[in-house]
Amino acid sequence: MRVLQSLLIRIFYAVVLLTAVLILNFSLMYLAPGDVADTISQSMGGADKEVLDQIRADYGLDQPFPVQLGRYVGRILHFDLGYSFFYNDPVTKLILERLPATLLLVFTAQILALVVGVVLGVISARQPNGIASHFVTMLALFGYSAPVFWTGILLLIVFSLKIPWFPVAGMQDVTIEGGFVVHALDVLRHLVLPAITLASIFLALYSRLARATMLETLGSDYVRTAKAKGLAERHVVYKHALKNALSPVVTLAGLQFSAVVSGAVLVEAVFSWPGLGTLAFQSIIARDTPTILGILFFSALVVIVGNLLTDLVLRMIDPRLRGRGA
Amino acid sequence: MSNEVMTTVRARSPLAEAWDMFVRNHAAVAALIVLFLITIGAVAGPYLYPTDPFDMVWSPFSPPGEHGFLLGTDYLGRDLLAMIINGARVSLLIGLAAAMVSIFIGVTIGAVAGFYRGWVEEVLMRTTEFFQVLPTLLFSMVLVALFGASLAMITFAIGVVSWTAVARITRAEFLRIRELEFVIASRASGAGNAKLMFTVILPNAMPPIIVQSALMVGTAILFEAGLSFLGLTDPNVVSWGQIIGSNRQYILDASYTVTFPGLAIFITVLCISLIGDGLNDALNPKLRQR
Amino acid sequence: MMKHLVKGMIVSTVLATIAAGHALADDPVRGGTLITVLGSNPRTLNGAVQSGIVTGYPTAQLFASPLRYDEDWTPQPYLAESWDVSDDGLTVTLNLVKNAVFHDGQPVTSADIAFSVEVIKANHPFKTMFAPVETVETPDEHTAVLKLSRPHPALMLAMSGQLMSILPRHIYGDGPIEAVKTHPRNNENVVGSGPFKLVEFKNGEHVILERFDDFFIEGRPYLDKIVMRIIPDIAARTIAYENGELHMGAFESNPQMVNRLKKVDGLEVTPEGYGAIGPLDWLAMNTQRGPLKDVRVRKAIAYAVDKNFIQKALMQGTAADSRTGIHPDSPFYFREVEIYDVDLEKANSLLDEAGFPMQDGKRFDLTIDFGWPGVKPQVEYVRAALKKIGIAVEVRASADFPTWAKRMGEMDFDMSWDTVFNWGDPVIGVHRTYVSDNVGKGVWSNTQGYANSRVDEILALAAVESDAEKRKALYQEFQTIIADELPVYHTNTLPYHTIYSGKVGNPPLGIWGTSTPIDMTYLKD
Repeated sequence: MRVLQSLLIRIFYAVVLLTAVLILNFSLMYLAPGDVADTISQSMGGADKEVLDQIRADYGLDQPFPVQLGRYVGRILHFDLGYSFFYNDPVTKLILERLPATLLLVFTAQILALVVGVVLGVISARQPNGIASHFVTMLALFGYSAPVFWTGILLLIVFSLKIPWFPVAGMQDVTIEGGFVVHALDVLRHLVLPAITLASIFLALYSRLARATMLETLGSDYVRTAKAKGLAERHVVYKHALKNALSPVVTLAGLQFSAVVSGAVLVEAVFSWPGLGTLAFQSIIARDTPTILGILFFSALVVIVGNLLTDLVLRMIDPRLRGRGA
Repeated sequence: MSNEVMTTVRARSPLAEAWDMFVRNHAAVAALIVLFLITIGAVAGPYLYPTDPFDMVWSPFSPPGEHGFLLGTDYLGRDLLAMIINGARVSLLIGLAAAMVSIFIGVTIGAVAGFYRGWVEEVLMRTTEFFQVLPTLLFSMVLVALFGASLAMITFAIGVVSWTAVARITRAEFLRIRELEFVIASRASGAGNAKLMFTVILPNAMPPIIVQSALMVGTAILFEAGLSFLGLTDPNVVSWGQIIGSNRQYILDASYTVTFPGLAIFITVLCISLIGDGLNDALNPKLRQR
Repeated sequence: MMKHLVKGMIVSTVLATIAAGHALADDPVRGGTLITVLGSNPRTLNGAVQSGIVTGYPTAQLFASPLRYDEDWTPQPYLAESWDVSDDGLTVTLNLVKNAVFHDGQPVTSADIAFSVEVIKANHPFKTMFAPVETVETPDEHTAVLKLSRPHPALMLAMSGQLMSILPRHIYGDGPIEAVKTHPRNNENVVGSGPFKLVEFKNGEHVILERFDDFFIEGRPYLDKIVMRIIPDIAARTIAYENGELHMGAFESNPQMVNRLKKVDGLEVTPEGYGAIGPLDWLAMNTQRGPLKDVRVRKAIAYAVDKNFIQKALMQGTAADSRTGIHPDSPFYFREVEIYDVDLEKANSLLDEAGFPMQDGKRFDLTIDFGWPGVKPQVEYVRAALKKIGIAVEVRASADFPTWAKRMGEMDFDMSWDTVFNWGDPVIGVHRTYVSDNVGKGVWSNTQGYANSRVDEILALAAVESDAEKRKALYQEFQTIIADELPVYHTNTLPYHTIYSGKVGNPPLGIWGTSTPIDMTYLKD
């Protein structure tokens, strides 16, 4: 019950703050020169002043600022993110269409980075000065230090162009016929490169932390005691040490969700992944205010949900946290 | 445990101690040397290699090593080596400046929150939480797109979204240190709040902040590269990210135009990470990594 | 090996032999899914309320128009089986085919034509297209009579391709005319009478169309399905073509992509077609600001900017020369105008003459703007080129498009790189840049503030002149004047290319590119 309560309080805070920032951003966007009518006319191949005025009137862009802001806030209070000027669709619909792709990418990358990161961390912690350990350290530093879009481009060139194992762009091949399994496998094939690219940054962070915490727990008294009691090495490592090492890694992963979403924007751009990042970039360039604000709102939600899930996972692996408020 | 660390560090010359620890980390020392060379290159390079990075000096896409151009020429026939040398200045400058902006914000917020506690802490930490939830890249993209891609704006846009980690670390350190004996002692001897915060607590909170700051410079360089890659960049200056961004469309046929600036970023950030590691080992030998 | 050699030869001489190649091709085959690509996300699939090349391709498949054009700019029957223009040019009668139905089975009638004209007049950005059409009379179900206030030779072209989508009144006429712009069925459950109907439009991913079995032209279309993937990234799109993930794509202008794909076995790359789109690249100069007020300064800039470098190095030989505001593929193009081959000496003496002496290697400052990343190389080149004649150019960044558009629209700029489309008839896409009553009315108006009463006069005459030869003569004089006064310096055409695999039979290579029904395109076995 207390868990639920604390979750609700957190969500409430988040919603209040998000609304505040939506209003702030709406005002910022109003202050900047130019508006979406210009972009609409560009995509039309040009329009005269009369048409531009018409477009502004159609979308209420000709109204004074307080009126526009009032209307926007009014809609927000009714959980309506408004209507996209540029895409001619309700913002919520647009975003919900794109959201699954981003969620798939973000969560796959996070899980991939976590699992591989922890495994690598454990391997290297068992022999801190072995070759495997140095390899993990190097790999981790490489992943972290390379610009993520650069990694993506290099992977794209190698595994799509030179060795055409994976498709270049998009999330699915619509020409494939078959049932759910066929389609799922197809999406998976499209997901491989983007997910690896995005995971590469965080893999670094997680494997380093996993290694460090494993080293620490392996050196701690109770693990030494366990070993002294004659428990098998394998048993000690996996049952005791790993369990203790996991929770800081998962905590860190939870804190990284915002960074993962940011990375996803770049990865989506490289692989033409049809997610929120691609939509965000296009909307920013087009100054499609309602869509940009909607995306900020939803991506913050993704981060919040990611954090909540992290809490749940933490509770699962660390019984001591159960029953405690967040 | 922390008590013990504090007393030992205070007992001997802390800097000498840290330096001893640092030089034992060969990778970090090597990284420091490389980064030093890169910095020298950024400062003196334009004088040693005076080619204007904006001049068209040869036909476009001359491959590396030919016609006297070590790294080749770009799509306008500009000397890529000159661009990377000049780009180092801007990239490092943005990295440093943005890191300073975020450290300033983060330390201030974290220190005030950790020192005063109560509702002040509540408000500041909610704000921090909020910025933590906001996808940083998206928010700075909006800022740069709206208010123009000048260097100052880019720096500000990066700094203003990257301070949350510093704020959390600073607050945690303040919470821990403010209860320590020597703080209580100076409070009892009548030290004011400002004095306590900045001359008593802050210096002792510095080690993890320094480590985080070092890493932040690397993050800011990567961040700038990401913005440039998306085209949000000032066309009147050269930065590494900007070279990648504007050569992106030629990647298939002239991949070196993207590989070299990418490598420059990679090596620089790698060095910064290694130095950060070394600092971490040197300054917080027993502190868990964050 | 032999086969490859032959293929290579065909590819290398594709420009010359493409027409012959088609004549020799096998008979069209029915069936198959054509995989194509869009370079960005369409705002809407309804071409009656939106122009632009991304909307053009899907809209021309979904909606039929009264006419279509062949490769030689000759109108052909489509929804209108025949038509008649009265001698005074004020009455245009369309006789519709009798068997045309919309995707929902309702017949296409003259009432739908009248409705569509109304919708386009109220919503489409090109006001000049149907401005002279006062009423549309519907004497019977299959006859529509357009009554004009003045002769309007551009009308024929405006009734073809993507410019005149015929909408079903019973679907889109359920609200005010202006509301069609945001009609929910512009993006889903779209109903037209074109050869393909909509299966799914997934924003950011794809548009999928399938064969409309009751299409009014017997036996067509040949394809069962068209997939339009949305891939904005140029490198990703290039690899997709190269790996055979795409059968066809159009409106490709990236020189690296074009040149790279030309070398790929099994792919054909051609700039053929696009005459009615007429995309031109140019350097715009604000004739009302600072040193640029002086025509000598503008000429000096033209002499310093090397068109040859732009065409050969920046566009890597994919672009053609253009000298005037009319696209070289247009029948109205006149090439014998004043040209400005690089001549720095002349440029310098013109600047001296204009009263801008060189002091410490510099004469004066100018700024240059650009609206989208694709033309950044051109802008950077102009800066480097003008440095040589003592003009210090600052590139102004506008991170997003509206910032640039605003500066252009309010004439708050010195120079800018720009790409502007002719849209078939000069009345639609050319006049707007040069007539003085269109100064500073938003982006792509006469943003250069250019005013010449003779030009105004000529263009007004040309708009209503029905005699093709006389019209041509008027445009010839117009082109001569603007090449001399240089409100914009025309450097090159923007080279749109169609890329298609050898499997594609009869790709759309007409004046509209893919903004035309591709009911005759097929996939070879």
